[in-house]
Amino acid sequence: MRQRDIGEADRLLWVITPDRGIVRCTARGARKPASKLGGHIDLLRHVTLSLRSGRSLDHVSQVETISGFRELRSDLVKASVGSYVAELAERFSVEGGANPPLFRLLVSALGRLESSARPQSLARCFEMRLLSLSGFLPELEVCVECGARLAESPHVFSSERGGILCPQCRVGGGDVLVPAGAGTIKFLRFLRTADWDRVERIGVPGEDFRQAGRVLRAYLRYVLDHSIRSTAFLDEVSRRPVSKFVDQVRPG
Amino acid sequence: MTTSGIAPSAAPPVARLIEAFHRLPGIGPKGAQRLTYYLIRMPRQEAEELAQAILSVKDRITLCRTCTNIGEGGECVVCADLTRDRSRICVVEEPLDVAAIERTRAFRGSYHVLHGVISPVNGVGPEDLKVRELLERLKGDQVQEVILATNPNLEGEATGMYLQRLIAPLGIRVSRLARGLPSGSDLEYADDATLAHALEARTRLDEPRPEPGEE
Repeated sequence: MRQRDIGEADRLLWVITPDRGIVRCTARGARKPASKLGGHIDLLRHVTLSLRSGRSLDHVSQVETISGFRELRSDLVKASVGSYVAELAERFSVEGGANPPLFRLLVSALGRLESSARPQSLARCFEMRLLSLSGFLPELEVCVECGARLAESPHVFSSERGGILCPQCRVGGGDVLVPAGAGTIKFLRFLRTADWDRVERIGVPGEDFRQAGRVLRAYLRYVLDHSIRSTAFLDEVSRRPVSKFVDQVRPG
Repeated sequence: MTTSGIAPSAAPPVARLIEAFHRLPGIGPKGAQRLTYYLIRMPRQEAEELAQAILSVKDRITLCRTCTNIGEGGECVVCADLTRDRSRICVVEEPLDVAAIERTRAFRGSYHVLHGVISPVNGVGPEDLKVRELLERLKGDQVQEVILATNPNLEGEATGMYLQRLIAPLGIRVSRLARGLPSGSDLEYADDATLAHALEARTRLDEPRPEPGEE
């Protein structure tokens, strides 16, 4: 998930595992070109690790790649979405806390991302599945405050209350509200049950898709009580042209 | 970590030095103690020379105004050398990477140091690197090729792809260092990506190898 250079040529790794949650360990000599570990322990790789117990941290003694997700390394948007889903998975994990379903979801998402024609759709699907897996599935059928059935009209989403608010209940209260039109709510409902294939195939109007992204991101930030760092770069590479430096890259 | 935590029984000046060494990268508490007690035994003149060398680095070293490498007086050794080929810029992550490539004596072009790499999970984006300075250098028609020499890992590749996307509209050739098997390594332990790159970029043995920098 993350790594940091330590010592002469070692790396400190944060690894997500199915049965021990996040594990911190060191890979000795991994930065040397001829290291047997180096190529296998890059970010976003599915590997089998053998760990040897150390005084404070475990050390990687052997590593074998199960999948290197090569396509993520040659496509900027896929690499950014991969970093984003990995960060989300890490934030929902704890050291020592087994969570095999979350691990399977992450590996499955990264595998699908390799061949995905719509990486951003896959990210929305991952967000919703992660919320479902963690017990934070948002209420999208009735008003989360009064329980009234939602009409086919624009509503708002409240992260604090975990669902959609009807026009009567949106008045008052100090929640941060995100607009959610009828098309957005329909797409969010679809994400609750859709598999990767169906998410890739469905066509969603641009504004509904972007609005659903804003709803899910606001809700995730609230649930995690933490900003998600990789969203800044994901937004940057999703822009066309690359706006941050657009004045400098315009020919002539 | 506090001074008393590392060396509770040491005299305050000793404990302070141990703590200062401990803050350096790659030096643990034991290493910090070893260095401190070595310095205590060192002749005064040598200790003064060491202190002077540290202060001189802090006083005189600046970033090169052209390539942002470490230099003196606003210019680095490579940019001050008028015989270097300024039409080729090799982009690296850190100043130490310049030193590594210079050791090969295979490159006569100039450099650009990014001072980091795009790392989405650590919140490091392009605006935190010397990307704007690189794009400034590419204005005009002097530069013909940008060689991306970021590390061959996910973050290095993402940085390279991002720069390639920025530079492409300028009509400048963008290349990157070849990937493959390191000298002295063992095929059995190579990872799939390295082996696949090595196969893709295999070379014929019956053709003469081009000189570095040749078309």
